[in-house]
Amino acid sequence: MSESEFLEQVRINQGIIYKLVGLYANNTEEKKDLYQEILLQAWRGWPSFRGDARFSTWLYRLTLNTIFTQKRKKHRIEYRESMDDSSSPVQNVFLQKEEAGRLKLAIRQISEIDRAIITMHLDGYENPEIGSMMGISDNLVSVKLHRIKKQLANFLNKEL
Amino acid sequence: MNTDQNRNRTNDEADEDLSSLLTPTGLTRLSSKNPLLIIKKNLFKNMVWAVIICSMYLFIILYFNVWQIRTIFSIILILSLWTLFKTYKEYKKIHTDISPIDPLLTELKRHQQSITRWMHAQQRAWILIYPFCAAGGFFLGGMLGRGNTLETFMQKPLAIPTLIITIIVLVPAGYFLARRLFKASFGNHLKALQENIKDMENEY
Repeated sequence: MSESEFLEQVRINQGIIYKLVGLYANNTEEKKDLYQEILLQAWRGWPSFRGDARFSTWLYRLTLNTIFTQKRKKHRIEYRESMDDSSSPVQNVFLQKEEAGRLKLAIRQISEIDRAIITMHLDGYENPEIGSMMGISDNLVSVKLHRIKKQLANFLNKEL
Repeated sequence: MNTDQNRNRTNDEADEDLSSLLTPTGLTRLSSKNPLLIIKKNLFKNMVWAVIICSMYLFIILYFNVWQIRTIFSIILILSLWTLFKTYKEYKKIHTDISPIDPLLTELKRHQQSITRWMHAQQRAWILIYPFCAAGGFFLGGMLGRGNTLETFMQKPLAIPTLIITIIVLVPAGYFLARRLFKASFGNHLKALQENIKDMENEY
């Protein structure tokens, strides 16, 4: 498959990279480094993409694997760029801009693994799919999701 | 809204920094800061240095016709060649590409193991090779510095205690320095990997 096909596929799905990097990068420099690393890894892995899975799922997995294995600073996120955008990452289409921003902020407060799990859940992935991408059992995904939702509800309630 | 619509809607968000890379010229500008790539480059540099240093050891063994020097440096040479071989095996084992197929937990463990193995290899080198290096360096330095034979140099009353102190001080100092350097470079990253693995394996 050609370079132009690859670029086209990534362009269509670039929101995945943008959204996930926005949840983990601590500053603009780190964000740019992660973009580069993800694209480089995707470009190297592109020949192995056989099309038996969706490209979006393939890219989602690769993006998560790359983010988690990169060296990142363990500080509070400094840049707020992706929190101020108008688009919502969650399933509820009626969620307003401010609420989406608050939810993103709350998601950034929880542990890194929990962030990945809840983001996949909000993106509509089923528990077995999440389990398969993370390498954990469906049962553990359910347990974790239950706990994460409680945690997020606490964060959001505290803010009100 | 169904899952597909939701995914499509959220997946078309864009960022200028990202979009600028999504061109044929953008792809050529990509550079990697993958920690395993950095480790792999370090291992390669170590191997190059090891070859140069082993050649020097060989030269010392051939040039100095003193059995003590020859014995010590032969031991160092054998240990260095063994370390070089282990380093080469480690180097071959490290895959710097991120898997788009393996689950996150598998990928995290692979990275953690590679980094830990590398750390142990560095520590092993300090413990096994450097006592002999310190002794060899001491003998050679004493001989060349004083212009005496090794026997004459070693007969001096302070020679043996100085040798012991040199080994006792240099080896742990080197070992802890290597540990400190490793921690400064990869300590936080390794800790983050371990925390995330633990978080995923924690059932409760």
